[in-house]
Amino acid sequence: MAERLSNREGIKGMANPTRYGIERVAYWLQRLSGLGLLAYLIGHIYETSSIVNGKIAWDKMLALTQTTEGHLILTIVIGMCVFHTGNGIRVMLGHGGVGVGRPGQPEYPYKAASLNYKQRLCIWVSIALAALAMMYGYSILMGE
Amino acid sequence: MRESIIMKIHYGTALGAVVLVAVHILMRLSQKYSDSLQYQNVLANYHFLPYALMLEVVLILLSVHGFNGLRVILLELKQGATYERAINYGSIAAMAALVAYGSRTILMAGMGVS
Repeated sequence: MAERLSNREGIKGMANPTRYGIERVAYWLQRLSGLGLLAYLIGHIYETSSIVNGKIAWDKMLALTQTTEGHLILTIVIGMCVFHTGNGIRVMLGHGGVGVGRPGQPEYPYKAASLNYKQRLCIWVSIALAALAMMYGYSILMGE
Repeated sequence: MRESIIMKIHYGTALGAVVLVAVHILMRLSQKYSDSLQYQNVLANYHFLPYALMLEVVLILLSVHGFNGLRVILLELKQGATYERAINYGSIAAMAALVAYGSRTILMAGMGVS
């Protein structure tokens, strides 16, 4: 029982992005961006609900959200959205067997075919696209 | 429901949401960003039935995808019959509550009730 509990890292294990390379970082970022986007979705639905209370309530809400801080949060949301989409498509294709390669003979040192350069490239491309989208979004939001 | 079917729904909602959220963002960029957020412009969006219907579909897709994703994360953290049942029903309840609240906005703004 004690050994079982010592092996169970729980949320600390999930929150640790290290130890297993870029694939682990992608796993961590996918979950983190997913949680962030869900929080944003709830906030966005609450924010837009103020429209039913009339123009004054809507303008009050805009004054609260259309600020430099609000635009910075929106820029981060854009980055999370693009990374989550790009990496999500990679995961989806991987689950369908696309780009994961064929397993080789289990000989030492065994290299997992699924952890190949295509997968790593997709992760880096997702990060790069997210960074580009953030820059574009930031320029639109701040260039008003 | 089998987890394999739930994952297919998860991926399906993701793909649908990507397309429709892109349309939603493009609508904001069809004019100056700050102008698109003006009260009359936003209200006009809700009065345009095809767009209002699209918003409803986006709301459902994102709620299903988001809360199922949260459910998966929570089930990865801990297992157990009671815990899993609580997470499953809790996710469905949260999903339904968010869809209901968002739909209320779409309906009320679309019908001009304020």
